[in-house]
Amino acid sequence: MVARDLLNRLKEMLGPALLRVDTPADDRIFIHVERDAIRAVCRHVFRDLGARYVISIGADDRPFSGQYLVAHDFAFDAAHLLGSVVTHVPEGDPRLDSITPDVPAANWAERELRDLVGIEPVGHVEPKRLILPDGWPEGAHPLRKDVAWNFVPEGYDPERAFKFGEPPPGCTVVPFGPFHPTLDEPAHFRLYVEGEVVRGCEYRGFMVHRGIEKLAESVLSYNDIPMAAERICGICGCVHNVAYAQAVEEAAVLRAPPRAEYIRTIMLEIERLHSHLLWVGLACHILGFDTLFMQSFRIREPVMWIAEKISGNRKTYALCLIGGVRWDLTLELIAELRRVLDTLEAEWRAVIKAVLGDKNVQQRARGVGVADRSLVQELSLIGPVARAAGVPLDCRRDHPYAAYDRVEFEVVTHEGGDVWARIVVRMKEVLQSIEIIRQCLDKMEPGPIQLAITDELPVGRYGLSSVEAPRGESHHFVITGENHRPRRWRVRAPTYQNLQAVPAMIKDQQLADMTITLGSIDPCFSCTDRFEIVDLATSTTRVWSAEELARLARAGRR
Amino acid sequence: MIAGVPPSAATMFEALDQLFVSLKHWLVGQLPPAWQSWVSLAISAAAILGVFMTLFALTVLIERKGLGRIQNRYGPNRVGPWGLLQPIADLIKMLTKEDLVPSGADRVVHFVAPVVMVVPVLMAYAVIPIGRNMAAVDFNAGLLFFFAVGACIELAVFMAGWSSRNKYSLLGGMRAIAQMISYELPLILSTLPVVMLAGSLSLVDITDAQAGHSGGWLARWHVFTPWGLAGLLLFTVAATAESNRAPFDLPEGESEIIAGHLVEYSGIKYALFFIGEYLGMFAVSALGITLFLGGWRAPVIWLEWVPSYMWFFLKLGGFVALFIWLRGTLPRLRADHLMNLAWKFLLPLVLLNAVSAALWHYTAPWTFVGAGLARWLLCGSLVGVPYVLLGRRLFAGQHIGPRTYRMAA
Repeated sequence: MVARDLLNRLKEMLGPALLRVDTPADDRIFIHVERDAIRAVCRHVFRDLGARYVISIGADDRPFSGQYLVAHDFAFDAAHLLGSVVTHVPEGDPRLDSITPDVPAANWAERELRDLVGIEPVGHVEPKRLILPDGWPEGAHPLRKDVAWNFVPEGYDPERAFKFGEPPPGCTVVPFGPFHPTLDEPAHFRLYVEGEVVRGCEYRGFMVHRGIEKLAESVLSYNDIPMAAERICGICGCVHNVAYAQAVEEAAVLRAPPRAEYIRTIMLEIERLHSHLLWVGLACHILGFDTLFMQSFRIREPVMWIAEKISGNRKTYALCLIGGVRWDLTLELIAELRRVLDTLEAEWRAVIKAVLGDKNVQQRARGVGVADRSLVQELSLIGPVARAAGVPLDCRRDHPYAAYDRVEFEVVTHEGGDVWARIVVRMKEVLQSIEIIRQCLDKMEPGPIQLAITDELPVGRYGLSSVEAPRGESHHFVITGENHRPRRWRVRAPTYQNLQAVPAMIKDQQLADMTITLGSIDPCFSCTDRFEIVDLATSTTRVWSAEELARLARAGRR
Repeated sequence: MIAGVPPSAATMFEALDQLFVSLKHWLVGQLPPAWQSWVSLAISAAAILGVFMTLFALTVLIERKGLGRIQNRYGPNRVGPWGLLQPIADLIKMLTKEDLVPSGADRVVHFVAPVVMVVPVLMAYAVIPIGRNMAAVDFNAGLLFFFAVGACIELAVFMAGWSSRNKYSLLGGMRAIAQMISYELPLILSTLPVVMLAGSLSLVDITDAQAGHSGGWLARWHVFTPWGLAGLLLFTVAATAESNRAPFDLPEGESEIIAGHLVEYSGIKYALFFIGEYLGMFAVSALGITLFLGGWRAPVIWLEWVPSYMWFFLKLGGFVALFIWLRGTLPRLRADHLMNLAWKFLLPLVLLNAVSAALWHYTAPWTFVGAGLARWLLCGSLVGVPYVLLGRRLFAGQHIGPRTYRMAA
């Protein structure tokens, strides 16, 4: 209904610039437009129709259509519709109007487009490098199809440094990261500090890019990728695993059996449980309150144990294949899971009571790191950050997947948009997750857990999938392809959007609030960077130079 | 002398109480007169050093164990039985660690800072009466001397922050200076009523001013008066902040500015800072005990047979336990909240407390029925009512103005 309405409006507005529209399902729309119309369409969709920006995808489509492909994904949450504005860019002129002036949320995605696919966003407000390392030569774009997955560029210049902006007058530069005790992963915030007040901030991250997407479209196959996908994140990997499987299933018009959908739901909620418990602990550690940090880790541990009993692992459950899941829940496991949930609920209610009544925590967290409604809308923030600003946004309800359309739960929101609101939202969501798992256990019926897929998957189809990760919406875009692997697979982890708001959230705040503000979005740099950290443990005290490390890394890769 | 015990037992208790004092006198008496005063001081200094260093080692272990229990875990339990040898393992680790000095650091100041931290703290112990006749020096301006040497800690922290040539260090140093100077004021002013009523700055005299018993059994400690009780509480808050303990451990603020002024210190220099902080904590607790809790005096008359130094260390243990408990219970404050607490809350209260003490003094001649209760109510409400009102204002939600942010353009 909404899709049709949208279609009519766009037809009227664009005329011949609108090339084609596909609506493969009631809740999906793919709008193919002329290259020159892209900015106007996106502005209309974002500004006039109030859609939420999700991500931009750049793909090298030259071997198939002789052109590059760019898609800007949007979500109409109230209307339960996910859409994509698709256009093609000719090989000889890889340039496209930037949408960032109208859609600020697209800032990073378009910079990524430029770095990895080599499509220049014309008129971008901040045309700096985002993902490629500082010394990487111009003109080498790893996601192009003529670049091998183990490509090492000529002319890498280790001396070249990133050009940061000028600090505001009267401010001192305080580097926050790349290594900081409360950052579990490297990321660099260059803070401009006046006294103890932060006046501005610039981000340089992506120090840990792994090139998982490139790997997927060049050497892995459909059923290998879920296992690589769940290694994107150290905490909420199952989210990527499920989101990828769903995107491929959607593209191939498959549907996993009902029992598999329930098991996916249960595992996703188990993951949310341990992720939120971890987060509450870490937030307390950041606030200098180590007692609750220890307590929430203790409460969390049985959840990890039951996950291990179900899947064999505390993390990386290796859950999904295309068209189903690999693990079934036995009656014993279900009984034990129920027991774990009962204990967890009782203990967690006690913690909620203690924390929500604590004036000291409130003093530290109220009015800190505010992301209000307008910022949420402008930067398309998601997950607990949006819900803490009173925006009821939850993919489980808005874009139902797995078995979420068969369970009842409340979308927890809170007013204020500050760190305190995020604490409240996450703490209460734990209880909702417990309820969801219980309902799934009640409703689940015996049956197959895996589709028998005998044919090859169709080629060149698009699939979108949004999964509500503990940190917000995790969005996957897949174009199916030849040789049992996708042509393009794009992952947008929740932190990718939320991290872009940190400079706005930290402005004019105390330096001491930087860590809790950053911590309050529950950042996951590995998700954002899609990279893996390798620990080179040596017993000698030899110091590795940067070149030696690079040589070592390359030797391992060949 | 001691109530409730037969004379022969009293002599024995007396001997036990004065055991260390007599031992020292005997030792000193063996030497030629010209040496005596010097050796006497040296023995006192050695005793202070030995006792409080041991206490430090014990406290670190108890703190780690206690925090572990508060947080539902074991704490150290691998070195020796129940982890008792952990302090020795820590010592070996600290002594054998590499001593790093940043290439850009001011080497001299960087080296001197830990020394400046520890030496004045040890000096402060000179004026504290640890037991009957057991003050190393009975200095007639003892309290002033204590605060004067105590102020050197600020200098040490700032020296460390400045000389490391590290922005986080400097931030830590700045925070420390701001915090310690702000809390110095309520700390010193909270001791003002004691000086007013005891009429002396000598800590020995102040202890003596708390001699005697009211009602024939309860000791006349200052804490049993309204101004003394309020004074002790205010003093404890200010003292916690002054010794950089949680929840006032902002200068280190591990999760915010990594370790503040300690970022660039390692090995024995780091250990000296660590020792300095704990010794500072003991010293300020000892001062609190002397000023408000009767020093080495027993709380009730029929417990006076327990040796005086035992009372002192019992009370000190109580303070240490309180500090550990606080650390396990409270989250860290933020810099501006900390300042608000010092200037807008503690400072008015300590001033009012001085007025309350004066009132207590001038209402002493009241003799009508219920005079004691009336005095308590009058003096207590002079501090109690502002406490409630100021506290309410401090915790009232601060107004958050509209925020603006310009996207990159």
